[in-house]
Amino acid sequence: MRILLIEDDRSAAEYVARGFSENGHVCDVLDDGTDGLFQATRESYDVLVVDRMIPGLDGLSMVRALRAAGRKVPVLFLTALGGIDDRVEGLEAGGDDYLTKPFAFAELLARVNALARRPVMQDVKTTLRIADLELDLMRRQATRAGQTIDLLPKEFTLLEVLMRNEGRVVTRTMLLERVWDFHFDPKTSVVETHISRLRAKIDKPFEVALLHTVKNMGYSIHAPR
Amino acid sequence: MRPAELWRHSSFRLALGVTVFILTTLMLASGFGYGLLHAQLTGRQDARVTEIFAALDQTSQAGDETDLIEAITTRINASPDHATVYLLRNPDGQILAGNINAISLPAGWSTLSAEKIGIATDYPYRVFVGKAGRYDLTVGLSNADLDDLQEIVLNAFVWAALIALIATLSLGAFLAMRVQRRLSQAEDAMMRVAHGDLTARLPVTGRGDDLDRISTAINASLARLSGLVEAMRQVSADVAHELRTPLNRLRIRIETAAEKAATGISVEAELAAAIKESDTINQTFSALLRIAQIEGGVRRDHFAPLDLALVMSNLAEIYTDVAEDAGMELSCLADTPALVFGDKELLTQAFANLIENAIRHCPQGTRIVCQVATVQGQVTASVADNGLGIPMQERELVLRRLYRLEKSRTTQGSGLGLSLVKAVADLHGAKLTLSDAEPGLVVRLVLPTV
Repeated sequence: MRILLIEDDRSAAEYVARGFSENGHVCDVLDDGTDGLFQATRESYDVLVVDRMIPGLDGLSMVRALRAAGRKVPVLFLTALGGIDDRVEGLEAGGDDYLTKPFAFAELLARVNALARRPVMQDVKTTLRIADLELDLMRRQATRAGQTIDLLPKEFTLLEVLMRNEGRVVTRTMLLERVWDFHFDPKTSVVETHISRLRAKIDKPFEVALLHTVKNMGYSIHAPR
Repeated sequence: MRPAELWRHSSFRLALGVTVFILTTLMLASGFGYGLLHAQLTGRQDARVTEIFAALDQTSQAGDETDLIEAITTRINASPDHATVYLLRNPDGQILAGNINAISLPAGWSTLSAEKIGIATDYPYRVFVGKAGRYDLTVGLSNADLDDLQEIVLNAFVWAALIALIATLSLGAFLAMRVQRRLSQAEDAMMRVAHGDLTARLPVTGRGDDLDRISTAINASLARLSGLVEAMRQVSADVAHELRTPLNRLRIRIETAAEKAATGISVEAELAAAIKESDTINQTFSALLRIAQIEGGVRRDHFAPLDLALVMSNLAEIYTDVAEDAGMELSCLADTPALVFGDKELLTQAFANLIENAIRHCPQGTRIVCQVATVQGQVTASVADNGLGIPMQERELVLRRLYRLEKSRTTQGSGLGLSLVKAVADLHGAKLTLSDAEPGLVVRLVLPTV
């Protein structure tokens, strides 16, 4: 995967770029918004990681210009700690995701992975399927090995988010944002509780587990390997 | 107060301005009154001259020359002090009678000085020269009355002006000094504030006048300001204290890791612990910044109508299982929509904080009840538990940043959860109360419905 990182903090940029290449990606690093816009329009990237505060053109303006030029490349914004309006502003400017500094590299990697493989065209599939687990999005029904599984609405959403990211790690924060619309860090085990309830319904009664915990990173659902 | 200093006070200058105004008005009024009286008296004087002239004219036509001379002589004798003057001449220009001998006066009406008509009085004369039968007759009346009047009016004006001047100037000086005393006190108080003493307050007399109102308003701002500064000082101190411990622990972890690495022992555990410590620091910082931003009011731009009952029931749905895992029971009474104007994300976080507080700080078996109800245009949203509650005297304190009930700080928590709820409540203009649920704690947020 080709990633363009636009970040002016050199040591942070180096650390992130090394992380990406260790995970098999190619990462170009620029430290200026104007250069970033030029590079992003000239070359083709799978994901752009853009810091909001960069010299030259600031991150928001850069992405706005990029969108105005018709570029649909997914963009992840890196925002400063505590900026509570940053997320809304970033999404309005044409960003696809955001991450607050400081962050764990695993979190950034999981989000970049999720972004890169997000189909550009809206997903028209009405059924998600992993091994013998099926999720009917129209009838909002889950079945495994032919048996209907009763899911609460939020459990259904949780399973849907996980299944749309089949084989990839979905972090705890990603789940909080996408399933429960929580944009803060809860002090109780909200995610763990709901994952365990979901597990009890889709995995426990069956021989093979599909939903896996990835230590220090998050959760992943995939067919047995 | 020295006179030069007096001049610098606005109230004294105002009084002086009023004095000048009063004097000008007085002068204009006196002038106008004088003019009116003067015109009236001149008219009367002319009428009197005309009357005498007509009477003599009649005598000249009814009788002979001797009668006329006698009539004039009688009149002259009745007015020995030249109050009235007469001159009668025959057609040849010979003087027949009179108490003046000015022979070359212009015909008709004129106002002439005494000198001009050849007598030694101080007043000018109003004179009419005309024909009484064949004779040239001159009749004049002195202006003595008019001059007296002028003097009376002038005197009255001078006295009135003098009294007004003294009265307004002393009133001005009195007011200036009285106001100045209060302004000086206010000035002193503000100088103390400028030098950093935020406890200084302006004097309020209780008379409820404009100065009182301004002073009260300034005092209110000062109270608010000192509250904010105190809060800020408190936060800086708390942050310093709050972060010292985790930063110190972080340092110890890294030191230990460095020592272990030097001797070839695995440092994985130390590093994991170090990451956890740094996460704690980040969370505290992040929460403090978030609260500061909410207090700054930036989020008000994102306000929109929303159903608080829906927010609460969604949260209840999310936390029911979490509570169950903690050995508690969570229920929700929020069936009727309750529309309010606000920020959904922040209200969600605020109520999530309240529910999480109950789950984290209450013993097993606790029942948590979330409720949203609309009564008379007011939406009341509450989270109640039947746990340990908060002692009365600490209910205000727990809303402060970084305040924790357990002084030992052994349990997890930043002490910022309720401060955020308070900040969100304030942003929404909502009333936040903590009260006794007998037993337990009930936290209520009351805000107006849309």
